[in-house]
Amino acid sequence: MTENTGLMEAINGPAEARKSGRSCVLNRRSFLLTSGVATATVMVTMHTAEGLAQVPAVVATYPRKLIGKLSELKPDEPLDFAYPDENSYSESMLVKLGREAGGGIGPDKDVVAFNYNCTHQGGPLQGTYQAGDKALGPCPLHLTTFDLTRHGMFISGQAYQSLPQVLLELDGDDIYAVGMFGLIYGRYDNLQG
Amino acid sequence: MTTPYYIPETNIPLPPTDADVISTACDYCIVACGYKVYRWPVRGGKVGGPKADQNAFGVDFPVEILGPWVAPNQYNVVLHENEPHHVIIIPDKDAKHVNINGNSSIRGGAIAQKVYNPQTPTRDRLKSPMIRMFGVLMPVPWDFALDIAAEVGKHVIEKHGANAYCVKTFSYGYMENTYAITKYALRHISTANFTFHDTPSDVTSTPGFRDAGFDNFGPSYEDWRDADTLMICGTDPYESKTILFTDWIMPAIQGGQKTIFLSPRNTAGIAYAVKNGGMWIDLLPGTDLPVVLAIARVIVENGWQDEEWIRKWVNNKSESSSGFGQGTRNTPWQWRTTWGKFQTGGFEDWTKWLLEQDYAVPEKAAEIAQIDVAKIYTAAEWLAKPRDDGSRPKASFMIEKGFYWSNNTGNTNAISALGITCGAGGRPGQMIGRAGGHQRGGLRGGKYPRNKSPEKLPGRRRRAMDTDRYLMSGHTRLAHVIGNTWIQSMCGSQSLSAKFEELTVQNPHQIRSFDKQEIIETLKKRADSGGMVVFDQDIYLVDPIGARFADIIFPAAGWGEDTFTRANGERRIRLYPKFYDAPGEAKPDWWIIAQLSKKMGFEGFDWNNSNDVLEEGARFSRGSRKDFFMVKVAAQKEGKTLHQKLGEFGTDGIQGPVMMLEDGSLEGTKRLHDTTRKLPDEGAAGANVFNKKLTHFNSQTGKCNIQKAPWSLFSDYWEWLSPKGDELWTTSGRINERWQSGYDDRRRPYIVQRWPENWVELHPEDAAARGIENGDYVMLYSDRIPVQVDTIIGIEGDDFTFTKLMDNGHIKLEKAAITAVAIVTPALKKGVMYMDFLHTSQPANALAGRVVDWISGNYNYKMGVGNVKKIGESPYKHDFRSMSFARRDIA
Repeated sequence: MTENTGLMEAINGPAEARKSGRSCVLNRRSFLLTSGVATATVMVTMHTAEGLAQVPAVVATYPRKLIGKLSELKPDEPLDFAYPDENSYSESMLVKLGREAGGGIGPDKDVVAFNYNCTHQGGPLQGTYQAGDKALGPCPLHLTTFDLTRHGMFISGQAYQSLPQVLLELDGDDIYAVGMFGLIYGRYDNLQG
Repeated sequence: MTTPYYIPETNIPLPPTDADVISTACDYCIVACGYKVYRWPVRGGKVGGPKADQNAFGVDFPVEILGPWVAPNQYNVVLHENEPHHVIIIPDKDAKHVNINGNSSIRGGAIAQKVYNPQTPTRDRLKSPMIRMFGVLMPVPWDFALDIAAEVGKHVIEKHGANAYCVKTFSYGYMENTYAITKYALRHISTANFTFHDTPSDVTSTPGFRDAGFDNFGPSYEDWRDADTLMICGTDPYESKTILFTDWIMPAIQGGQKTIFLSPRNTAGIAYAVKNGGMWIDLLPGTDLPVVLAIARVIVENGWQDEEWIRKWVNNKSESSSGFGQGTRNTPWQWRTTWGKFQTGGFEDWTKWLLEQDYAVPEKAAEIAQIDVAKIYTAAEWLAKPRDDGSRPKASFMIEKGFYWSNNTGNTNAISALGITCGAGGRPGQMIGRAGGHQRGGLRGGKYPRNKSPEKLPGRRRRAMDTDRYLMSGHTRLAHVIGNTWIQSMCGSQSLSAKFEELTVQNPHQIRSFDKQEIIETLKKRADSGGMVVFDQDIYLVDPIGARFADIIFPAAGWGEDTFTRANGERRIRLYPKFYDAPGEAKPDWWIIAQLSKKMGFEGFDWNNSNDVLEEGARFSRGSRKDFFMVKVAAQKEGKTLHQKLGEFGTDGIQGPVMMLEDGSLEGTKRLHDTTRKLPDEGAAGANVFNKKLTHFNSQTGKCNIQKAPWSLFSDYWEWLSPKGDELWTTSGRINERWQSGYDDRRRPYIVQRWPENWVELHPEDAAARGIENGDYVMLYSDRIPVQVDTIIGIEGDDFTFTKLMDNGHIKLEKAAITAVAIVTPALKKGVMYMDFLHTSQPANALAGRVVDWISGNYNYKMGVGNVKKIGESPYKHDFRSMSFARRDIA
């Protein structure tokens, strides 16, 4: 238990670790971290003023799924895929923004992927990609827009959290989805539905 | 280097089927959406499951679109009856009004983050009373703090007079609290040194509405929806009262409503309207009046005015003058008519005046406002041009602070006249009113003693005291500040702050003792020496009023921590029940005031709970727009408390004024001034009251006064302010993601990531000319912030004009500077800078002139001017984790 709390602390910082240690309901992430189930830590590359920084993200039991090839991506042409499963609200998009982005992969750090469902009331964001602003939206329901260069942070609108970002890995020319940042709309747990 | 970032959770616990469900409403904007709190004990480790029969929502997960999804930001843990409980707070999916089917904004949607939880950034809630001893705020018991406060308060009143005791309070922090506070300040202390959070003087916010006869909140939300043409002035409801836009205006636009916006800044709601056939009139700050009157001019020149309505509902000369000249001329209406600048002899007289005004010629108005003149003609057509079949478009008019805090009297007079011309004000879909800012939680427990105010205007009229100017003159010896951000919330903030510092911490009489009596004597000496003592009553320690200047801190309890009552922007009155324990020793404001009052020897404060306060206050709501007295009558009949009875209405609430029908049931009021409403011929039965405003207007005759709105009363100030050299207009307003000073939002990692600090929007051409790019740190500064000084007695009609004040040395020019992160966006009018209106550390109001609208006494907060220059790069310029520089007007 002690070493697992240590792992939590290393990954999420002492405040989060304390919270999880005292948490009355064991959320899935802490459950996985404290009961020895296989856990992977993925480093998300973020650009900072000083250059590239590796920020750890917690990923647990997400499938590693081939979703596209870097050489086949054209700037500003989103490619649809499903992740982390094929169930409701798994619709996601992969896009080469042509501009460096938080969590972006590839030589230009501009390839990112996001879930397509608005994190306000679940409005579908398919077909709302804005090439000029590197944004998704406005959501047809309540007009929220999301900045794809900023980890899916909302630009304007009502969303309760950033658009879930699909974490990517590049293996040669192959792009793999390996995890998610943020709860997918409609679900109470990204992996359980 | 790190900048604020936020790692979202990827799961949440679901409420079990037996979770407590508490109906309430949002604490934030005027709309007050209905919410439900799901609460269940942590003890036992029980959580709900994903099947419909396993959770309190009764739905299967994943939920449908628009379903009861729970984002991690909607979950928290609280103490309830001293036991840890889970809470999930989501909009009420069963709501039948306001946010029908449970929509929410980004503010209310994440309101679960507001509640006190020591494991979150809310951990710095004020938890015990504090006294500043040896320069440090130290926790003390309630009695210790209250004994000192009462002794010092009594001394100040006895020695320096009631006006030396200033009460600066929120106007809306629930009716139970505002009743207690006003009873204390106005009925018992009877100080004229009293005002609310958003104005230096206790005066009406919309003088033109008052004189025309319009209530600020007459319309119902369906009136905004049902208008064929809706003119929205000085706000984008999407940016500030979201659900009013998304649930009422957006569907109307989809159904063909023509929506016209007056604003220097384009935002998502405006962009949506424009994309769907609406219009953005992109005027310069302060130029609304010529544009509004030019639209009216086009209408009357074409004969498109609503003749029938005007004949029936507009006062003619004798009606306008009725009641005039009797008794003391100490009422605003008589003063204005005496003075002759506003009164007309009816519609024809007004039209004659209008046609004589050169600034109301469309081409001239367009030049002043820097807009395309075609927009004036189009607006006139949409608002008033009869259709081929002779029917008229139903036009409604919505105003908010960008409009009425730019040229307070002039703009509100002009829009009232335009509204009347178009037949708006008293029919379904044809209304005029405010959109609203905060909710309506005022209940007056005393009358403002205007005769005690030193503000004397020409015509022997007294106006409510300008509390800022009085304080600057050194007359305020005790400032009791309740739940607001006095100093940054007022104009010319920085010189005001300097004066506070001089009167408090720089005064030699500072507490350097542990002895209660010595502490009292020290604070008395402070007041007697010309200094000032400060009490601050709030939920967080506000900088600087609490953190730096206060001698005594009273920790307050807020939303969800006691049971309260409040109305929204369509007068919908609802109960906000207590659902968890307030932090530490924090107490509701009514309780704090009651203890202080009793210690000061005032009678009538023996309340046991918040229901007692409201039951006492109910009769003071009579005749007001949120008259709920009959709810109390019904409660008593049914053997219930008033709170119990109000709670029965759930998130539906009931719209004031409330009446009782013959069968004892209660009926609300959909809209005020409803000329289509039929009241019983036999009159009001039982304890019911039929106030004039139910079916007529708030004027002496029940008809509207159509008034002149001379540009010259304001244009000297506007021209003096207008940017010189490299200066730009500076203005400010709300953004969707932050509520008021951001006291909650600063404690939400998700919002802090988006808006880590103050920012300023600049037009690309203005930015390029100054070498400014997205993410640069800029300095906004001015060495000519006009500040009105001296309390003078007005004799001549123009003594209070800006020009005269300047000539006579009553305007001082001061310096001000704030920093901000630049956002370069074509969404803004060229020549204008726009900021969030209330960052405590970088307040936009520092650059707004502290000169009151000389007719009304309000500040024109939106009128500022300053220079801007780059001082370096912010950490956000090259970072992807915080802040976004993408444009907010993507449609």
